Amino acid sequence: MKEEPKKREQRRKLFLPLSFLLVFFVFGAIVYTVAQRTSREMSSAAIQNLSESLDLIQCTIEAILNNEAEFQTLVARELAQAEDPEAFIRSYEKNRTMAKVSMIPAGAEQGFSNTGETFTEEGLDYSAGRTVGGMPVSQSYVNYMGTWAYTMKCPVERDGKELGTLYVEYVYDAIDRSLPSDGFYNKQASLYIMDAQSQRFVLKPKGMGQRSAGHLNLDDFYRANNVQDPGIRSEVAQCLDEGRNILFYHDIRGKNALNYMWSVNDGSVFLVGYVPVEAIQQEGRTVNQNIAMVVAAMLGAFFLCALLYYLNWRQQERVRVEREEERQIHSQQLAQALQAAQIASESKTTFLSNMSHDIRTPMNAVLGFTTLLSRDADNPAKVREYTKKITASGQHLLSLINDILDVSKIESGKVVLTFDQFALSDVISSVDAIIQPMARAKRQEFHVEVSGIRHEYLVGDETRINQILINLLSNAVKYTQEGGHIWLRIIGLKQRSGQYEHIRIEVEDDGYGMTPEYLRTIFDAFTRAENSTTNKVQGTGLGMAITKSIVELMGGTIDVTSQVDKGSIFRVELELRIQENHADRQFWKDRGISHILAVEADPGGRESIQTLMADTGVQVDAVAELEEALNQAREAGPYQLVLLDWDGPGLNGPRAAQALREALPVDVPLVLMAEYDAQGIEPALKMERSGVLAKPFFVAALREKVEELLRDESAAASAEPEQADSLEGLRFLAAEDNEINAEILMELLELEGASCEIVENGRLAVERFQSAQPGEFDAILMDVQMPVMNGHEATRAIRALEREDAKRIPIIAMTANAFAEDEKAALNAGMTAHVAKPLDVGVLKRTIRQFAKGKDGTGDEKA
Amino acid sequence: MKKREDNRLRRWAAALLAGTMLLAPAGCGGNREDKNLLPDEKEAGRVVNMFSPMEKTDPNAENVARTASDLTIAMAEERLGVTVAYQTYTAEGYQDKTYDDVALDRARNDMDDLYLLNPDTILTLGAEGRLMDLSGLDSVKNLREIIRVANTVDGKLVAIPQEVVAYGMFVNVDIFKQYGLELPDTPEEFLECCRVFQENGIDTPVGANRWWLETFVFAQAYADLYNGGNTEAEIAALNSGEARYSDYMRPGFEFLQEMIDCGYIDAEKALVSEAIEAEGPDFLAGKTPIVMAYWGAANTETAYGRTDFEMQVIGFPSSRGQMPVMPMTGFAVGANAEHAEDAMRVMDVITSDEALQLYAETNRVISPSKNVSVDCVPALRPLNDRIQEGVYVLGSNAGMNVEQWGNTCLIVRQLLGGATVDECMAAFDRLQDEAMNRQ
Repeated sequence: MKEEPKKREQRRKLFLPLSFLLVFFVFGAIVYTVAQRTSREMSSAAIQNLSESLDLIQCTIEAILNNEAEFQTLVARELAQAEDPEAFIRSYEKNRTMAKVSMIPAGAEQGFSNTGETFTEEGLDYSAGRTVGGMPVSQSYVNYMGTWAYTMKCPVERDGKELGTLYVEYVYDAIDRSLPSDGFYNKQASLYIMDAQSQRFVLKPKGMGQRSAGHLNLDDFYRANNVQDPGIRSEVAQCLDEGRNILFYHDIRGKNALNYMWSVNDGSVFLVGYVPVEAIQQEGRTVNQNIAMVVAAMLGAFFLCALLYYLNWRQQERVRVEREEERQIHSQQLAQALQAAQIASESKTTFLSNMSHDIRTPMNAVLGFTTLLSRDADNPAKVREYTKKITASGQHLLSLINDILDVSKIESGKVVLTFDQFALSDVISSVDAIIQPMARAKRQEFHVEVSGIRHEYLVGDETRINQILINLLSNAVKYTQEGGHIWLRIIGLKQRSGQYEHIRIEVEDDGYGMTPEYLRTIFDAFTRAENSTTNKVQGTGLGMAITKSIVELMGGTIDVTSQVDKGSIFRVELELRIQENHADRQFWKDRGISHILAVEADPGGRESIQTLMADTGVQVDAVAELEEALNQAREAGPYQLVLLDWDGPGLNGPRAAQALREALPVDVPLVLMAEYDAQGIEPALKMERSGVLAKPFFVAALREKVEELLRDESAAASAEPEQADSLEGLRFLAAEDNEINAEILMELLELEGASCEIVENGRLAVERFQSAQPGEFDAILMDVQMPVMNGHEATRAIRALEREDAKRIPIIAMTANAFAEDEKAALNAGMTAHVAKPLDVGVLKRTIRQFAKGKDGTGDEKA
Repeated sequence: MKKREDNRLRRWAAALLAGTMLLAPAGCGGNREDKNLLPDEKEAGRVVNMFSPMEKTDPNAENVARTASDLTIAMAEERLGVTVAYQTYTAEGYQDKTYDDVALDRARNDMDDLYLLNPDTILTLGAEGRLMDLSGLDSVKNLREIIRVANTVDGKLVAIPQEVVAYGMFVNVDIFKQYGLELPDTPEEFLECCRVFQENGIDTPVGANRWWLETFVFAQAYADLYNGGNTEAEIAALNSGEARYSDYMRPGFEFLQEMIDCGYIDAEKALVSEAIEAEGPDFLAGKTPIVMAYWGAANTETAYGRTDFEMQVIGFPSSRGQMPVMPMTGFAVGANAEHAEDAMRVMDVITSDEALQLYAETNRVISPSKNVSVDCVPALRPLNDRIQEGVYVLGSNAGMNVEQWGNTCLIVRQLLGGATVDECMAAFDRLQDEAMNRQ
């Protein structure tokens, strides 16, 4: 059935050209038939026409010959009557017709001529027996005038008695004058007069026509005009013998011509020549040309119509093809969309399956332990153990959810970087604080190395940089076997611009490594290295995708090289703006520090210290050995601060510290620079004004340490941080619509010795605050998403109240909307701080302490 | 864009069709004029009759020489509005009257206006006073001096040529090379070449006809006279009878006699042979290494214009090396010509620099005008080089009281017919004596 339309289409396509061809052939056949008939008729008309012309010429010549014969008879009669025939002859003057008149008296061998000389019949050939009006005519010859002539003879008789013979020589020029002066057929015909006996041409065309084809005789005519057909030549010969006319077709110089031999005077002379057929058929040809023009015009019109039809068809066809293509593109797009949807659905299924597994695992732990908890509620040791495990599982769940949210935000382009000033040392110390315990738990060695950094105070999104480092390092920890090594290197690269520090972060491990196939997809979301070794490792598979997105968002690059069982190196390159006008100089000046001695075994370390301290206005003398340091301390001093590399090779840390402490005045702080897990450092720290500074060296860290060492009170204060964070006696107003959350909050605050009043939405919070006594609440804890009035609106309403404390009272946002912009939105609404859910008691305490405790006058940390 | 073009095309086509339909019926109407249907009576055509030879034609070859002459005649017809009617004659065979005979008859009977004449005929008719003095024509001032001198009879310039006809030997260089022969400079070298050819099976090395063997005689007779620096004095001595023509002619005749005796020339055949007709085919077929002909024969396909071998045209052997022989053909006007005035005008046009330039370029010949020169075909270079050096002999000279070209031709025929060299020399002496008597 499908074949039918296709065949119909093919038939339709064939039909048009076939019908054109048919019309063309029918038309052509008609034209051909008409042309053939016309040609036949014209041919016979041409023969007829030429015959008539030649007959006319023949009659003219014969009339001339007859006239000449008659005239000669008259002359003979007069001569017969003449007294003195010789005198009569000699008195005759040659004219344009008769070139010579002669007489041979009867019985004599020779006679006389009008030209004066003796005349004989010698040279005159009458053997052919041709006559004109019964008068013998000689064969043609070139006469004394150098022209072709013939002689006729007749008897001279008086009274029946023959007196002699009269010879009159006639020149062909006389006949020539009687022939058409311009030739015939518009000078296109050639006309020769041939003496039949000698077959020589005695009159030739004189015009310019085809003069290069002039001919002497019949043979020359045949040769020059290539008449070689023996049939024609024998027939011509026969006609010449019999004095008959002949006409035949033969091409002369490539032109179809009618050739003729036309007998005159019973074949004594012949008209010889040819006429191009087109010259005879001039008129017919013109008609034919006109017909051809009309036919051509009609053909032109026919083809024009065909062309128009074709153009129209082609245009329609083009439109059809365009539509077809559009339709195909459309179907293709639909197919692609379908495929994409299917893939998306598959991804979703895979994702959900992964998430389901990843969420269920810790959830299973939570639920399992809560069951155990209820069973062993009376056993405090077990309760503590279970709650610890529940907390760990909860933490894992939280990180999972955070990652998922991060990815979805990054993918939807909603991530906004928050640029702020930060110190590189803070980043490293916080990362170190997180990773070092993780590494130690797996008995791994974690080293931090810093080199070539010129500026440590930078501008950037510190949180996200932390996130990058923690993602990379936690992965390194996860995917490195126990006892492995992990290195974090911060390398200062050549600056491209004076305003930016160009840094490379390298995270290297000697762990499991990755296969080349996996490396290709490592930065795609929801991928995880799967093998027997790593299946034990928990993760969302989103970390690397998030890391790459953040790096790119910061305008940086990330790449990785890895070998299975050898380890991996991740390299991140970032350019971070350098902080300007950092008030570092003032710090050192205020504390009277202008000269520092640094004892550092590693040349790179010495250089790094000097580079980093360059902007502080403090002179740093760096030495490699203890002896040199001691000399320096004695001679170059006084130093206000001494730095000692605790682990430096060749520097015995404890001994060197001891020696320096003794050599230095007692008020000069001695700072020991040591690795995280430096051995045997505790005794040294017990010395006067000694402190330890975690490597690598950073100015900010040194500043903190110096401040710590110079402040006597600080040691005492640091002994009771718990007490300082206590919420004892504080009273809060909390807006929270979720009952469980409200209960948890209340319980947590009560545990801390604070009291709390819960309202269910923002409006109630506003009303409650409005009705409260001044100072009744120390702070308001405000959920954001609530019915009736949300947290932001409520905050604005409270701040708008005309109460003295309405502007002051700390309002702390407590919300599951945990992103930076959520925090920003909260602050914009007039809130004082932002704490993310689920609530971390420590964070909540710190925040409340920071903002709400000002009323008892102990708000030091704000300083 | 494309669509717009299609639409425009269709609009044009529709307009065209509509136009055609409107015009078609309009063209069918006719109008008949009621008056004499014949065109105005044509002015009686002015005709100039010209007598010239006619070469037998080959249907497949263009006759270059004729074409060149025709072009100048056509130029005259166009300029002057006259028709030049060709009267032609060519002898079928040796028994017929020669072209020169017929030319003489026709000129003596005032049959034509213009004649193309050979040198002897020019002198004969000039001497008879039957040719018009052409020295008043504008074109005359451009003529080379030698042309003027050679065509002046009794102080009248009676003919002007369209080309300086130079005769030379046409040699098949391939055959000379085949037998390791140099092209000959002297009669002795020439005879040696013939001997070598004959030894190698070429029985008759020289192709000859009844017209042009005299060129060998002229080369040897007058090489010193025309190139010795004493020409005028020597001619004066001949005219006064102090010197004898027979003394000049003898070496050439003895040379021909030796050629005949050795069989280098077929005398019997030559005596009845027309120029080129007899010897041409063998030369073109590479059977005969040497023939003699005029300059133009090297240019036209009807003669030797296309050969399958390397052909060169060199001068005839003489004591002064290869020697071109130059007779003077030329156009003349009959003294009693019926259309004398138009004939003179035609003469002026066809011998003008412009016409001679056209002629020379078409025919690649040496022009009689000192203002016209063209490159010749490579085969003619040896001959041309000699002429340009000024080394040649004249085959006719109106300054000599014995006509040279025609008489020598006839006497050479006597030699071919069996007369001895002495008898031939006696004939020259007779001619000289008759000339002396006429004076």
